[in-house]
Amino acid sequence: MAEKTCPVRTTLIYLSDLIDSGSLTDPKIRRICEQILHLTEEISEGAAGNDHLLAIDSLIREYLDMKKSKETLETGNILKKIFTDNREIFQSHIETRNCPSHDCGKLAPSPCQMACPAGIDIPTYLSLIARGEDDKAIEVIRRDNPFPWVCGLICTRPCEMMCVRARIDTPVSIKFLKAFAAERAMSEGTYKNPKKKGWNGKKVCVIGAGPGGLTAAYYLALMGYGVKVIEALPVSGGMIMAGIPRYRLPREVIDREVAMIEDLGVEIAYNTLFGRDITYEELKNEGFDAFFIAIGAHKALDLGIKGEKIFPKVLEAIGFLKDVALGNHHAPGKQVVVIGGGNVAIDAARTSLRLGAKKVTIAYRRSKNQMPADIEEVEQAMEEGIEFSFLTIPREIIGKEDKITGLDCIRAELIQKEGSDRLIPVPILGKDFIIEADVVISAIGQYVDDKGMEAFSQVNWTRRGTIEVNHASMETGMTGVFAAGDAVSGPATVIEAIGGGKRAAEAIDRYLSHIPQPRMPKIPVRHHMEPSVEMTATRKMTLKHPAMPMLNVDRRRTTFQQVELGYDEESVRKEAGRCLRCDICRRCGKCIEVCRDKMGIDALQFGYMDFDHPTGTDFRVTEKKCITCGACAANCENKAMVLEEKDGRRNLKLCGTLLNSQAIQYCENCGAFLPSAEYHDFITRKTGNRVKRTETRLLCNDCLRLLSAKTNVETRPAGLK
Amino acid sequence: MSKYYLFQDTRTCIGCHACEIQCKTNKNLPRGAKPCQIIQVGPKMINGLPKMSFIFMPCYHCEDPWCVSTCPTGAMQKRSKDGIVFVDKELCVGCKTCISACPWGAPQWNPDTGKVEKCDYCKDRLDQGLKPACVTLCTTGCLTFGPAEDMTQVRRQRHAEASASFENSSF
Repeated sequence: MAEKTCPVRTTLIYLSDLIDSGSLTDPKIRRICEQILHLTEEISEGAAGNDHLLAIDSLIREYLDMKKSKETLETGNILKKIFTDNREIFQSHIETRNCPSHDCGKLAPSPCQMACPAGIDIPTYLSLIARGEDDKAIEVIRRDNPFPWVCGLICTRPCEMMCVRARIDTPVSIKFLKAFAAERAMSEGTYKNPKKKGWNGKKVCVIGAGPGGLTAAYYLALMGYGVKVIEALPVSGGMIMAGIPRYRLPREVIDREVAMIEDLGVEIAYNTLFGRDITYEELKNEGFDAFFIAIGAHKALDLGIKGEKIFPKVLEAIGFLKDVALGNHHAPGKQVVVIGGGNVAIDAARTSLRLGAKKVTIAYRRSKNQMPADIEEVEQAMEEGIEFSFLTIPREIIGKEDKITGLDCIRAELIQKEGSDRLIPVPILGKDFIIEADVVISAIGQYVDDKGMEAFSQVNWTRRGTIEVNHASMETGMTGVFAAGDAVSGPATVIEAIGGGKRAAEAIDRYLSHIPQPRMPKIPVRHHMEPSVEMTATRKMTLKHPAMPMLNVDRRRTTFQQVELGYDEESVRKEAGRCLRCDICRRCGKCIEVCRDKMGIDALQFGYMDFDHPTGTDFRVTEKKCITCGACAANCENKAMVLEEKDGRRNLKLCGTLLNSQAIQYCENCGAFLPSAEYHDFITRKTGNRVKRTETRLLCNDCLRLLSAKTNVETRPAGLK
Repeated sequence: MSKYYLFQDTRTCIGCHACEIQCKTNKNLPRGAKPCQIIQVGPKMINGLPKMSFIFMPCYHCEDPWCVSTCPTGAMQKRSKDGIVFVDKELCVGCKTCISACPWGAPQWNPDTGKVEKCDYCKDRLDQGLKPACVTLCTTGCLTFGPAEDMTQVRRQRHAEASASFENSSF
């Protein structure tokens, strides 16, 4: 007997069916049901707090108090009964975030989606891209991230780190596929905004037009809020505009995606510094109900070495990059030394080179393997002729009058210290040297510039100088004030800021709708289940990660043209087809276990499913041993493994990959489908020397019964000739 | 063979299918799976009269069953104390080899659980001192169940009666 379905799941289905059916004509009832559905969804995702059930109770009370028609009253009573009868189960979902019957875990997202700070439904959009449906892919991405094009070019791609395909060969190139789809959709005019709700009469003020602020603005605008964004710079994009050089991210890409957000009615006030050009009081008086602080981390850390404050040509990388981004295209100098090992240091160095610096050196305290910068960035910089001086600790900037002549450094060695997993650079006495330079650019990190934030008196700041928030809701210590992005995390990634902005938008909506905030950060949600891309096992195994075509090095050293030229369309479609669809196959390994240990056939060589000890994977092995018995498919809870009978063949498929195909046999009497010859051979081997009826006549189960019934009487059954 | 015998008196059976329903209800089975089944044979003209019979088809609980020897997982078993052939749901992986191996079509597929169902003489009921579900609620009482040694009496009686009357064939 099948176990009872989890009531949380049943309630979700009941409510969504109810809402989808269109039978809820009363808007108030519909709103209540939607809110209950929303709260129940969080319970089933393990993101609910203790207030959830209380809120549901009061919504049901509100419903029943309305004393509407008999039918609607009945629905209210059903809801009341559901939440009374199953209260303990709902409570346990909230407390343990565990669904004992696994029903709520059926929508467990894939590792890539879990790794994405914005929780983008990656397998779904990869399948759409593989089919050439770029506009739909963009629609899916923008449910969680309004910047698919920007992220497609510059994301640090934590998703690819987790990609299960890497356990077979190399990770799917998730990042760039997004950029391709966005570019194609934008070019064809199919990059569209979703329909936004009508204005709900409430206004939210966003401080900072960076990725975090604009993301929140986008989702708030869609939800029907009036949004005003305050931006200190004359351009939007924040750090992606000011901090990331154009050869990595063309300005047009940012402009086009920001324009999409402005199309939703989001107003951006440029050259407006919060606290100076406009005050909290003024905005309050204008009727803003909530504030979102996304001011980033734009202030550079000091080097703390001698000479830093003396020479005008000691630049801070972030200010330098901002200057260049805003149009100052003068070379900082002839010989540039950049201090630091992160992406900002590399960006500053490569930008200096493109502006005409003769020699650019990056001085870093540790060695190449410890650099926080992306390895591709480091390698591209090396190709362009940037020099690296590793194990280099700067001691003093030296020069004559106000001109720099060099950077006095000391060689370091890396020492493992107790209690620290990072190697510590320790200076070697006597090994000092001078790097000749006329410009020194420091890129050792940034922090949050809190100037102008005094108005938010109840907002708490951490010891690191960042804003303290509740990470599930991005609420600060001050009611109605939310914060996210680098201002909360310290210098981090674009995608983290986007994720934070999205969470904040949801939290602001809840704050203004008087719904309790989630206790746990929301688990990424899979919005729908896209059918798998069908292909043969051989193709799935042999598709290879394409190499990224690059601009030639001469042009890279002299211009700001985009360095990575992008894949062609054919490569993109193929690359997207490499996805293993981990949103469908949870890699529980039950199929392998059943085939190998229970059936003794061992036809499934899916070594990648073992997380801790991945072994060899070859989808092509299956057809050599498999008898298409279907035990693997019968035991697959997520229907990732399926056995389909089509066009005279029994086909075994794992997430669209055709593992095996054998000819169906037919019942000689009624024509019903029978298993393959390979399967019958397996049975014959097992039953040994017994007389096999199926060897003489191939009959289905029902006909066998008819046949044996016949032997019990003198007359033959009518159906059997 | 199991130590039990399930006898169907085909002369009294009216083909009401109550046995099938009781069986499916007891085991909570979806559409399709019929551990026991009434097969209608006929109608056929015999001595100028249309005759029809209903044959009760459960599992025969063979002495050396095909299904048990073909089962790769050991789910299909023969109970040592009374020889009942049954399937352990915990071990069944749904490969259907038993279904293909059985010459009488006794093992049935349960599409809801993805596992095999079969007649086990309601061994859980037997262990409580009850009769199989099909026998308990047979409307005409044509199904009788008991230890094999007690059951021969019915057949003897029947044969004696048949021999005494030429009008009644064993049909």
